[in-house]
Amino acid sequence: MAKKIAAYICTGCGIGEALDTAALVNVVTKEAKVPLCKESPFLCGRQGAATIKEDIAAGELEAVVIGACSPRVNYEVFDFGPNTIVERVNLREQVVWTHPADDEDTQALAEDYLRMGIARVRQSELPVPYQAENMVKSLLVVGGGLAGLTAANEAAQAGYQVVLVEKEPGLGGFAARMYKGAPSRPPYTDLEDTTVASLVAAVEANELIEIHTGTTVGRIEGGPCLYDVTLLSGGQETSRRVGAVVLATGARPYDAGRLGHLGYGRYANVVTGNDVEDMAQKGGIQRPADGKAVQNAVFILCAGSRDPEHLPYCSSTCCVDSLKQALYVKEANPEANVYMIFKDVRTPGRYEEFYKKVQSEGVVFIKGEVTEITEDGSKNLTVEFSDQLLGQAASVEEVDLVVLATGMVPSTVDWAPEDAAEAPGSVPSVQQPLLNLAYRQGPELPALKYGFPDSHFICFPYETRRTGIYAAGCVRAPMDPVAAVEDGTGAALKAIQCVELTSRGAAVHPRTGDLSYPEFAMQRCTQCKRCTEECPFGAINEDEKANPLPNPTRCRRCGTCMGACPERIISFKNYSVPMIGNMIKAIEVPEEDEEKPRIVVFACENDAYPALDMAGLNRLGYNAWVRIIPVRCLGSMNLVWVADSMSKGIDGILLLGCKHGDDYQCHFIKGSELAETRLSKVSETLDRLQLESERVRMVQVSIMDYDKIPGILDDFAAKLADIGPNPYKGF
Amino acid sequence: MADANAPSKYDAGFAREVYGLENGSYVKQCMQCGVCAVSCATFQCMDHSPRRLFALVRAGRKDEVMRSNTPWMCTTCLMCKARCPRGIPIVDVMHDLKGLALKEGRVTYPQAAMYQAFWKDMSGRGKMFTAGIMKNYTLKRGLGNLGKMMGLKDFGLKMFSHGRVPLMPPKAPKGKKQLMQMVKKAQELERKGAK
Repeated sequence: MAKKIAAYICTGCGIGEALDTAALVNVVTKEAKVPLCKESPFLCGRQGAATIKEDIAAGELEAVVIGACSPRVNYEVFDFGPNTIVERVNLREQVVWTHPADDEDTQALAEDYLRMGIARVRQSELPVPYQAENMVKSLLVVGGGLAGLTAANEAAQAGYQVVLVEKEPGLGGFAARMYKGAPSRPPYTDLEDTTVASLVAAVEANELIEIHTGTTVGRIEGGPCLYDVTLLSGGQETSRRVGAVVLATGARPYDAGRLGHLGYGRYANVVTGNDVEDMAQKGGIQRPADGKAVQNAVFILCAGSRDPEHLPYCSSTCCVDSLKQALYVKEANPEANVYMIFKDVRTPGRYEEFYKKVQSEGVVFIKGEVTEITEDGSKNLTVEFSDQLLGQAASVEEVDLVVLATGMVPSTVDWAPEDAAEAPGSVPSVQQPLLNLAYRQGPELPALKYGFPDSHFICFPYETRRTGIYAAGCVRAPMDPVAAVEDGTGAALKAIQCVELTSRGAAVHPRTGDLSYPEFAMQRCTQCKRCTEECPFGAINEDEKANPLPNPTRCRRCGTCMGACPERIISFKNYSVPMIGNMIKAIEVPEEDEEKPRIVVFACENDAYPALDMAGLNRLGYNAWVRIIPVRCLGSMNLVWVADSMSKGIDGILLLGCKHGDDYQCHFIKGSELAETRLSKVSETLDRLQLESERVRMVQVSIMDYDKIPGILDDFAAKLADIGPNPYKGF
Repeated sequence: MADANAPSKYDAGFAREVYGLENGSYVKQCMQCGVCAVSCATFQCMDHSPRRLFALVRAGRKDEVMRSNTPWMCTTCLMCKARCPRGIPIVDVMHDLKGLALKEGRVTYPQAAMYQAFWKDMSGRGKMFTAGIMKNYTLKRGLGNLGKMMGLKDFGLKMFSHGRVPLMPPKAPKGKKQLMQMVKKAQELERKGAK
């Protein structure tokens, strides 16, 4: 518990004009018994910060309370080193910028925030960084395709040791099967030689990269900086200790055997785009049936893609790949007639120049849908389709080669063996063993859509739901070689950030640099496993006594476990259940007849708190009954705080957090959703206690909803006025 | 086509013929966005919009393209050419298609007759002579069209009263021989320009 504290109140930015700061000093020193409280007209200025530093040194202070601007700004100014706790009380964005000046309710608001800040800091301790035996900074890259090779190469060039594992006997993956690459340089019209061969050579020559081909990952135990990996190769086991993992196992082509209606498997001259790459590499494009030249070719784009009976999604690269392959056909026979039947032609960015080039070579693009493909006695094909450009049925006859541009499926999933190839296709769903994590929540990465590993794609694309494990390349999302190289580089960078931060005991994204971590008072644990199961990142295993076994390096410090625990045994050095409870108890609640309600607002630090700050920045006013308590994530919301609030006489509790659901924004994936679930369970209890369940409300906001903040807060206050004051007030 | 319900076959031959015209190779780059169609001043009078005409060319539908009234409705207002995102000089392509249609001898549109009448008179004389053009046009359109021609008589008389219809042909221009050489050179370049 922080004992030696001083407080500072800044009177700049309008604070001094709007509030009676002398009265605030009084509250701090006389009521809250903080021995030293100083005012300053410009606390973030050189003089202001210097004064604080002097006082810390002179008084050997453990903590300072800063009543000024939002904690989201000036954090580098109010940083007094690792041995001083800094508690920021937001008097600017959340008091004077959103409430009328010289007003008794605004004054009461400021006073309460100072009381709450002081109560909070008195429960805080300096975090002690988590350290363990033999923390390492090397990387494990699973997958030796373009993304994996790039990740390994980039990490090694940055000076990190890499263990590269590839299940095939050779490196290069899918990219090595390409005959040529799509243009990546101006004027974006010419096919290029692929880069994968030189990348393989670079990786093989690099002393920092240990290569294991013909190898799979048998088991991964531990966590960031502490992964114990077992590699399997031809019956032999090898062990390695690594710091972070990059998953770059790529994707496989959609099973064309499911496209019998387009002739695959039925007619010899119907092939996939990948077959064309193989043909081109082996020496030339020819009719598979008899090796004769190809005079007429038809490409069918979106074969088994964007189709409710096959893959519902677009695989991003097949259009450009088909453009490439059309040029292979023309290269083999410049007089060939090539047709492309498309739903759309997706040539993002500079590939539009490539599309134009392929058209100028005479390839004819037809918007349409194939209705039937038939074969004659000489294995020539007739492709019939509805031509949407001409508005009628049309056909191409005497076709020598039909190429199906098929999509891709991530290596994380596959079809069940009993799923017959003739049956209508579907998105595969059987999880494949790629990492074999010894995690209680499961051996592989949780998926979000179509089998691709879940990541917070808006903010942190490479992050998966497992800390320290980064997905890159086509296993993460369908992408072309240029994007895969970028992805591999990004994932390597994230992995390096992870090992560097973790080795110092610090958390990674989004609470980058946080040195606190959850501690468990195991003697009171009832083994209910709520923490273990609700942790969005699977950071908690189970020990032989059935108690939760935390793995601090796997933790992202969201506090969801803390919120879940009904016995409240989990706490951080600077964030705990009693801490928030004391903040609530520090609020001064007026008597019922004063008709001044009190609303506690738990605001998550990722979207809700910034939205509140933004409301302040835009000087949008709202009622002065609210008392905002920032929480790390709504997932850390412990229901005892509802009880604490109600028994203190608080009239209403509002939870403000990030959006959850399919299109979630919650920066800890599941926190916001869990809070909503917990609330639904508590409403019955509240009703039985004669406390209307409408007194507790949850609203999802994003930072861009700042203009709705006054409406949300005032609407809730109006509802509470309807219901009437908390009957437990004054007890 | 024998069976109206049978799917129409894509034929690469005619497309290649069009690509061989001076501006014909641009047709390859059309991405069928339709901006030309919605911009065209006389789109409503056309049996096929410029966009659809290009799709028909690429599908090899020679008959329909040659019989189409589309290029003959073109006023050369240049809206399409200015807006085409692929930079296709649509007006010039239409011009080339007109030339091809005339060469194929399959055109009966009045505009075609007017073009031919105009050129026949102009290329011989080196200068415009309205009466000469009208004479050529009337002959080309034939006796059956005489009724329609007579319908223009009021308009013609009004023009005459304003001195707009000289009865005698104009004097030959200076350097008529050189003018004819220029025309010949232009025609040679047109052939060369075709890809």
